[in-house]
Amino acid sequence: MTQAPSLRGADLAKVTSRSLYLQALFTSERQQGPGFAFALLPVIRRLYPGSEDRGRALGRHLGFFGTHPVLAGYVLGVAARLEERRAQGGPVDEDGIERAKRSLASPLAALGDPLFWVTLRPLAGLVGILGMAFLPPADPSGPDPRVLVCPLLALLTYNAVALPFRVAGVPRGYALADDPVTLLRSLKLAGWKQVLDRVGAFGYGTLAALVLAAMSGSVDPLGRGPAHVASVLAPFVLGAVGAAAGLKRWPGRGVEIALAALLLALIVSTRV
Amino acid sequence: MLATDRGAGWNLMLSQPLVGACLAGALLNPGPQWELWALRIPIGVGVLLQLLLTDPALPAAQRPRDAATAGVIGVSVALLGLERLHPSLPVSTGGILWVVIGTITGLLVAIAGGWMDRSARAATASRLARADDLAREGRVASFEALFWGGVFRIFLRGAIWSAGATAVGVALSVAFLPHMALLVTGPRTGLLFAVIMGLALGAGWHTHVRARSSGVRWAAIGALTTLILLLRFRGGEP
Repeated sequence: MTQAPSLRGADLAKVTSRSLYLQALFTSERQQGPGFAFALLPVIRRLYPGSEDRGRALGRHLGFFGTHPVLAGYVLGVAARLEERRAQGGPVDEDGIERAKRSLASPLAALGDPLFWVTLRPLAGLVGILGMAFLPPADPSGPDPRVLVCPLLALLTYNAVALPFRVAGVPRGYALADDPVTLLRSLKLAGWKQVLDRVGAFGYGTLAALVLAAMSGSVDPLGRGPAHVASVLAPFVLGAVGAAAGLKRWPGRGVEIALAALLLALIVSTRV
Repeated sequence: MLATDRGAGWNLMLSQPLVGACLAGALLNPGPQWELWALRIPIGVGVLLQLLLTDPALPAAQRPRDAATAGVIGVSVALLGLERLHPSLPVSTGGILWVVIGTITGLLVAIAGGWMDRSARAATASRLARADDLAREGRVASFEALFWGGVFRIFLRGAIWSAGATAVGVALSVAFLPHMALLVTGPRTGLLFAVIMGLALGAGWHTHVRARSSGVRWAAIGALTTLILLLRFRGGEP
């Protein structure tokens, strides 16, 4: 019996590129399982020559799998290493591969969701918005370059943090397949979250100050007095307080709260 | 592409409302006379939707919302409506009427798109039985084709949804807004715009400050630093 070949760097690179489609067949029962199997196909093709073995290997990865998509590469790397050992006759059984996947996927999801979805993505959007506040239009009556600069800032901010995790995931998981604890610790995800939390709050303070400074300069250009200022600022303040209080009471209902507040404002505006 | 970014798992941030709105603004070309608005309205819609549609809850706890196409459809409806309805609803007060219309459209689309996403995922479940069969039969290439088909369907669904919802939005605007021209006054539009801005800032507080450890302290530091810099470099003239 000939020994199965070892995996090459190109195989791991293909797994990395395919991991970008992890959620294409996402369902509530299996979550990213089909995407995981799809991403691992270059490895399966390299290690198993026969269609029956390939089908069996594919089938073992089609079941439930759920982790954070940015960090899925680490689990794919570990699975690739274990599949390689199994194909080469090492003492790795199907349950062992499944256990290794799950033991890594759960903590990565628990650490990745708060970092990437809850913290980094909103922060990247905020950086794009701040770009609009800081960059004046090049020509007040001409084209506005901010329409390209602001989204670019958001994209760069997000991907400057997330892309290195995606690119390094598969090879690093492959290299540290026997030491998942070291692998998890080396990512320093909790530390990243703490820093980005503070940067986000700092950025929001900056945005609020810029908005208030801009409003204070334009709210009463003719000097009509405090009553006029109050009447102009009231809808803005009521909107802000309403959203903050509403979201505290009904988290996740931001869209409904906004639409209800706008409808209320429209009704009030027709009566006043 | 934005739907693929969100649905297939690219997750490169392309599917955020700010990015989608600005891209739609840069790509839509309602004509040279509208170029100024085609670039400014998308920024306004994108910024407001970005703050309003960012949910700081973990994804599993979030309501289904399609933030990916909300910015695109909101901006498309605003710009195409602006071009068609200019005679009855002239661009005034810096185009904020169309920022308001684009933002409201984006909010409505986010809800409808979320419903559609949920039904699309239910349809995906039926394809998984086929994937199991292919694995059992050892037909790896066929599984691959099935998977690429899933990616293409996400792309196609996003494109059809964006085009269809934009067409419906523009048709509704053209049908109803001219009859409401007398109601669409500058002060009323300004009031709605101020409320949306307030809502967006309140939503931003919820996302960036309340949900963070030491959020209030760091927000205060950010605000103070900015005010000091404004006073220092603009001599108190914001």
